[in-house]
Amino acid sequence: MVDRAAAGVIELQALDLVLAAVLVLVAGLVSMLLRLGLEKRLLVAAMRTVVQLLLIGYLLKWVFRIESLTLVLGLALLMIIAASRAAVTRPARTFAGVSWLAFLSLTVTGMVTTITVTGLIVGVDPWWRPQYMIPLLGMILGNGLTGVSLSLDLLLESLAEKREEVEMELALGASAREAARGPMAFAIRRGMIPIINTMMVVGIVALPGMMTGQILSGTDPLDAVKYQIVVMFMIAGATSLGCMGITLLAGCRLFNRRHQLEAHRIRRR
Amino acid sequence: METGVLELERLSVEAEGHCLLRDVSLTLEKGELLALTGPSGCGKTTLLRSVAGIIDPAAGRVTFLGLPPGEHGWPAYRRRVTYVTQRPVMFEASVRENLARPFGYSSAAGVVFPARRAAKLLELLGLGGERMDQQARSLSVGQQLRVSFVRALLLDPAVLLLDEPASALDEESAGMLREQLEREVQARGLSALLVTHDRSEASRWCHRRVDLRKYACIEFDDEESADG
Repeated sequence: MVDRAAAGVIELQALDLVLAAVLVLVAGLVSMLLRLGLEKRLLVAAMRTVVQLLLIGYLLKWVFRIESLTLVLGLALLMIIAASRAAVTRPARTFAGVSWLAFLSLTVTGMVTTITVTGLIVGVDPWWRPQYMIPLLGMILGNGLTGVSLSLDLLLESLAEKREEVEMELALGASAREAARGPMAFAIRRGMIPIINTMMVVGIVALPGMMTGQILSGTDPLDAVKYQIVVMFMIAGATSLGCMGITLLAGCRLFNRRHQLEAHRIRRR
Repeated sequence: METGVLELERLSVEAEGHCLLRDVSLTLEKGELLALTGPSGCGKTTLLRSVAGIIDPAAGRVTFLGLPPGEHGWPAYRRRVTYVTQRPVMFEASVRENLARPFGYSSAAGVVFPARRAAKLLELLGLGGERMDQQARSLSVGQQLRVSFVRALLLDPAVLLLDEPASALDEESAGMLREQLEREVQARGLSALLVTHDRSEASRWCHRRVDLRKYACIEFDDEESADG
């Protein structure tokens, strides 16, 4: 038998993917035996996984080969738009213009953090080299949008549910900033908890996906760990900036210059 | 002639786009207790919230000591023209913290929480003893209402905006509140705008009464605002 690991990276063949699909068939079998009714959804999900990942694989291959700044920025823009949409559709409440605020906070935090990592920490030349820029931005946005949507959800919930308290603070002479401080701090804290929890258990409960990927592709585990530390810090920084950004922007939108809470803007989805 | 401490000029209020009250004009003099009466749903609370600047009126303007609220600075204005809600709103904290909280705002401008005065006022309103350290939300609604009244008085407002102040109080407590209000009027010329659906309450509490039905956008039956 040929030693496929000898070359470092084991290249997967089409047959390997077919074998992996057998594992999904097992899940389908379980669903049938237990009458869970999930077979069809499982099939669609498996097909989507293959199609979506193949498409992104070909797209990335093309982008990596062309190495065009315009193309990289265009792709980054599309990623940020998709992340913003996902971030604002998860909370139970919303208000007009929230998509723009999510877009703004994810753009600033995503781009600032990614460029800091590629340009300053890793020292990629040029800073926008797609092999680095696109996956790093993807990781930041993936985590950032969770933080942004959690913060937004909590902020809108507490402003709607505790409206009387906020208005009482204002009636007693609090400025908008003072009245909003409690709900805003609550929202930012809530958005940051998942990444802090992840950092607490990283490497103990599970190995992060990127590190696992690097190790599987033959990278020395210690080198993979160094990258992973940078990535965790990058995600923590970006998530906290994103949570703060959306909370401050939404706060500015929901309080006016007369130090009033414009609670009527908040509506259930 | 001395101008009023608070003036409402052709003030209109609405709720969800529906007109409630139109062109309310009145002047509140220093040391005056003025009742605004009207049936339930006529817009009394909305009017009071507009005067407090919690919401915007649909039209018209409010002036306090001759100036619009914005010129005083909205937080500073709200300290001087203090709104006491019909349903008391207590923060999740002790009575002491509830009373002291407004002294932590920047609009307090360094004024220290007058703990002794707070204790005395609570005592005068029948809430003496260990009440200060009790959780405010564990008090009865009537007790919370008296705490919110004390919280407003501690700000040394020029005008109190009182929304149905006696609605959750028994006769005795309402009497204590009324007496304290009178003392504040006598001692330092406090004025109050008080809204109520109850005309007899209005005459017991106030020097003058204005019937809001004449400003109402829809007609109300006379019986609805019958003496309570």
